[in-house]
Amino acid sequence: MKTNVINFLKEQVGLIVALLFLIVFFSVKSQYFFTYSTFVTIVNQIPHILLLATGMSVVLIVGGIDLSVGSVLGLSGAVLGILLTKDYSLATAIFACFIIGILCGLTNGFIVTQWRIPAFIVTLGMLEAGRGLTYLFTNSITQYLGSKLDMIAEPNIMGIRFPLLLAVVVVLFVHFLMIYTPWGRHCFAIGAKEETAHLSGINVRKVLLSVYILSGFLASLAGLLHCARLSSSDPNAGIGYELSAIAAAVIGGNSLSGGKGSVIGTMLGVVIIATLEVGLVQISVPEPWKRVITGMVIILAVIIDTYRGRIKLFRKEA
Amino acid sequence: MRIKYQNLTKTYLTFLVIIFLATLNVSCGKTADNKDVEKKVKKPRIALIMKSLANEFFKTMEEGARKHHQNNSSEYDLIVEGIKDELDINRQVQLVETMIGQKVDAIVIAPADSKALVPVCKRAMKQGIIVINIDNRLDAEVLQQNEIKIPFVGPDNRKGAREVGLYLAKRLQTGDQVAIINGVPTAYNAIQRRLGFLDAIKENGLNLVADENGDWEMSKANKVVSALMTEKPEIKGIFCANDSMALGAISALKAGNFMDKVKVVGFDNISAANELVEKGELLATADQHADQLAVFGIEYALECLKTGTVPEDKETPVDLIVKK
Repeated sequence: MKTNVINFLKEQVGLIVALLFLIVFFSVKSQYFFTYSTFVTIVNQIPHILLLATGMSVVLIVGGIDLSVGSVLGLSGAVLGILLTKDYSLATAIFACFIIGILCGLTNGFIVTQWRIPAFIVTLGMLEAGRGLTYLFTNSITQYLGSKLDMIAEPNIMGIRFPLLLAVVVVLFVHFLMIYTPWGRHCFAIGAKEETAHLSGINVRKVLLSVYILSGFLASLAGLLHCARLSSSDPNAGIGYELSAIAAAVIGGNSLSGGKGSVIGTMLGVVIIATLEVGLVQISVPEPWKRVITGMVIILAVIIDTYRGRIKLFRKEA
Repeated sequence: MRIKYQNLTKTYLTFLVIIFLATLNVSCGKTADNKDVEKKVKKPRIALIMKSLANEFFKTMEEGARKHHQNNSSEYDLIVEGIKDELDINRQVQLVETMIGQKVDAIVIAPADSKALVPVCKRAMKQGIIVINIDNRLDAEVLQQNEIKIPFVGPDNRKGAREVGLYLAKRLQTGDQVAIINGVPTAYNAIQRRLGFLDAIKENGLNLVADENGDWEMSKANKVVSALMTEKPEIKGIFCANDSMALGAISALKAGNFMDKVKVVGFDNISAANELVEKGELLATADQHADQLAVFGIEYALECLKTGTVPEDKETPVDLIVKK
C-alpha cells in the first residue's frame, strides 16, 4: 500500500506541482482565493464534469473516443425533468434517466463494434441526434424542478455537497476496476494494440461495448447531478462538455491513441481546470484571455507529460 | 544527437513556460492596482454578471458600466464577468457561486435563463448579498416559489417590440404575409418581444405565416430565413427579436434577391444595425440604451447598500430608431 501511494505521487507529480503552482499564484494575486469558501466553490462545481471525464478517460484508454457525453447528459437530464414535472416518482425518473444513458452508450458501442465504424464518427452522430432528441422532448424549454431534487443537491458535510462525494466514490471505484480487475487490464491491452489483445484471447467486442455503456451511464449520472445543481432541466445542458472532458483527461495524462492513462490523473485534470476557471474569475482576467490561458494550460500540460515520458526513455537507454 | 534533441526540447519548453507566465501577468496586471486601492478604503464591491460578452449588446452594456465605474471609482469596485455564449447556464451559475465565495456586496445579473438562475440568486441573498436583476427578467412564479423578491431594472420589451412592429405594420397592407424570428424561446425577453410583435400584427390584421426560432444568433437566423423564403416567397415583412438576427435575415434576403420585396425590423440598435437603418436596408430597430442598462442596475444596487431597503422594479426607456 505504501509503495502504491509513493508510486502514485511519482506518477502524478507533474500534475500536483501544476496544481500547487496555480494555487500559490492565485493566492498571491487575490486576497479572496486562499479561503475555505473558494475551496468549496471549486469542488462543488466539478461533480458532473468529473463523471464525464472519468468515462472519457476509460474510453480513451481503450483507444476510442466518446463525443456524445454532453448530449447524453442533456438528453437523460431532459427525460428526468419531464418525468418529474409530470409527477412521476423520483425513483422512476432517475431509473429512466440511467436507462437513457445506458441505451445511448449501448448504441454507440454496438455500432462501433458491429460495423467497425470509427468511434469519432459514431459518437459525433450521437452528439447531434442526442441534442436533437433533447430539444424535441423538452420543446426547447427549461423545466423548472423546484425542490424536487434538493435531497440530492443539498446534503453536505461542511459545505461539500453530496454530488461531489458521489462523484469521488465513482472515480475511486472505476480506478479500482481499471487497476485491479482483469477487465481493466483488458482495457489497457486493447488500447495498446487491439489485434494483439484479440489474439491473446480477450473478447475485444464485449470489453469495448462495456466501456461505451459505462461512459453513457456516467453521462446520465452526470445529467442527474447537473439537474439537481440547477434545480431545473435545461435543454442546452452539456453543450461543449465533451471537449472539457477530453481536455481534463488529456491533462491527466491520457493518450488520445489509447493504452495509456489513469482515472485519478483525469480527476487531477478536472481539478486543475476548475481551479484555473475560478482563479481567473477572482483575479478578474477578461473573458477572452481566460480562454487563451486555458488553451495554453491544456497544451503545456500535455507537452510536459510527453516530455517527462521522454526523459525516462532516455534514462533507460543510457 | 539524442542529447542535443533533449536540450532543444528543454529550451523550448522553458521558453513556452515563460511565455505562459508573461501572458498570465499581462492579462491580470490591471487587478494589482485595484487591490492596492481596495486595501486602503473599504468600498462596496459590485459584481456585474452578464450573458455573452461576444455579443455586441452586452459588450456595450459592459463598457457603459466600466465608464460609470471610472467616474465613480471612489464609491465602489466593479467586477465584470460574462459567459461564452448565451446558452451556458451552468457557467453562469458557477460565476454567481464564485462571487458568493468572494463575498461581494452586490450582484447585478442579466440571467441566461429566467428560471434556472433563481436558486443560486437565492443562495447569494441568504449570504446577505444584494441581487439586482437586469436585462432578462427572472420568472415571477419561480421567484414566488422560492419566496424571494429580486427587483428588476429594465425596459418594457413588449412595449418596445410593439412600437417597432407597428412601424413595420403601417408600411404593409392588411393580410400581407409576415414572419417572426424569435430569440431563445425560454428567455423572458424573447417571449416579451414576440408578444409585442404579435400585438402589432393583430392590431393591423397581418397574416403571420411563420413563427421561427433564431436563438438570438446571426447565422441561425440566416439559415432560417433562407429556408423560409424558398418555402414562402410571398412574405412581405420579418420581425426579428434582436439585431444580430435581423442582420442574418438581411444577408439571406440579399443572397436570395428578396431585398426590395421584404422589410425587416430588429431590436437593440447595435452599431451595425444602425448603419443599415441609415442605408434603408433595415426598416427600424429599438434602442433600449444598452450602455445604461447595467448602470441603472449598479445605481440601484448602490442605493440598496446605502439605505438597506430593496426598491421596487423600475422601467427604463426604449426608443424607436428609424431612418432620419
